[in-house]
Amino acid sequence: MTALVLMRLRGYAVTGRVLAPLLAGLVVLGTLYGGGQAQVGEAYGVSAAVLLPVLAWQTKMLLDVEPDTQRRLAAIGVGSPVRECCCGLLAAGAAAVPVVLLAMMAPWILNGIAGPQYPSDLSLGAGMALGVWAHALLVPPAIVIGAWSSRAVTRTAGTGVTVLVAGTVGVVILGLQSSPVPWLAPPVLAVARFCERGGSWQALAMLTVWAVFWTAGAVVGYGALRRVRR
Amino acid sequence: MRMEDVWLRYGRRGSWVLAGADLTLGAGEVAIVLGRNGAGKSTLLQVAAGVLPLSRGAVHDRPPTVGWVPERFPADQPFTVRTYLEAMAAVRGLKSAATEIERWAERLAFGPHLDERLSNLSKGTAQKVGLAQALLVPPGLLVLDEPWEGLDAQTREEVPDIVTELIATGGTVLVSDHRGEMARLPGASMWHLDGGQISPAKVASTRRWVVEVAVAAADPSAAVARLHAAGHEILGVREGVRR
Repeated sequence: MTALVLMRLRGYAVTGRVLAPLLAGLVVLGTLYGGGQAQVGEAYGVSAAVLLPVLAWQTKMLLDVEPDTQRRLAAIGVGSPVRECCCGLLAAGAAAVPVVLLAMMAPWILNGIAGPQYPSDLSLGAGMALGVWAHALLVPPAIVIGAWSSRAVTRTAGTGVTVLVAGTVGVVILGLQSSPVPWLAPPVLAVARFCERGGSWQALAMLTVWAVFWTAGAVVGYGALRRVRR
Repeated sequence: MRMEDVWLRYGRRGSWVLAGADLTLGAGEVAIVLGRNGAGKSTLLQVAAGVLPLSRGAVHDRPPTVGWVPERFPADQPFTVRTYLEAMAAVRGLKSAATEIERWAERLAFGPHLDERLSNLSKGTAQKVGLAQALLVPPGLLVLDEPWEGLDAQTREEVPDIVTELIATGGTVLVSDHRGEMARLPGASMWHLDGGQISPAKVASTRRWVVEVAVAAADPSAAVARLHAAGHEILGVREGVRR
């Protein structure tokens, strides 16, 4: 499986398509941190939220590099369509790592972090930990949304883009504080709010469970779709 | 390998491409699937290879190592021939593939193209790469979808030898053919796919005449297809001068 993950990463890198989402991410982060300083937790909470569409797009592009027939050859090569499917998600996860690292370094490079000013403010260390948690929590949902919009599932470019846009916009709309069904989307905005305002351990645990269950459900749905769409 | 009551359609509202197809192939056996364009030969072969999900039915006892040569090799990939074959060998679990790649490149006569990008290859050379990727690890089941399509004369002659070597080691080979090239695989069982079902192809067992026919050089494949469609067995095609 490692060989197929590496083959897909290599294919994605050498086509140059890697640059488009990377540049989009840099523009978003530059705009975010260029506007002024924020507490570390707040900065990372918003960073994780704005990375969601970037990582979803990156996942779609990575998975779509491979022609359909090659995807079937790869499934034969690794021995099963399920393994082929997992390799795609793992490759997308590996491709997300440098983007997340860049996003976590960006506020320091762009001088977008303000240290704690009041006793109630989170320390830098605690804010950093919260940032790592927020990114780790929101990368998997971003990858799954990208996978849902990939050509293997959506068949056509138009449908793929529609699913990608509807998915990422839906996450924002469903995640608003006034939303009656926030659990239909991953807790992107809820995590950003938590990082900004802080909260109890119970709230943190609940957000974690929410994100894990949402991701698990979306992965199962993706697997079910890929079972019939290869 | 045993395909049992296989049904398949593309989409819930699509018509059935395979409708209760049954086919059993033993070790060391070669089967050729014949049928008109659009009969579902490629679909049947992909079902046999395990890359298409069934709507109903089952495929039993598929060998663990399968080699599939698609009708059109997906050449639109950002790799050179060598890096592609190395990557596919690694995907298949072959640790050091350099020797195997060189061997197949020499045998299938695409050695000079090893460092070319896949997207720059001619159709025939790309098809050879498709053949090589399926053979890097000796497959228990080799599925060849129109394997002669686009190949040069030298490599066309190589395909039967490859098949013969594979069945000698207990492998099974499933081939689709709509151009009447099956004469290149003597001893193969022939099946006809029509209406989504497979039946033994009608090959006359009584005494037959062999008639040599000269056709215009412009389009011999069309003439072969017409003769084949009319129920004649094509024993061979060669270049020649009209006497």
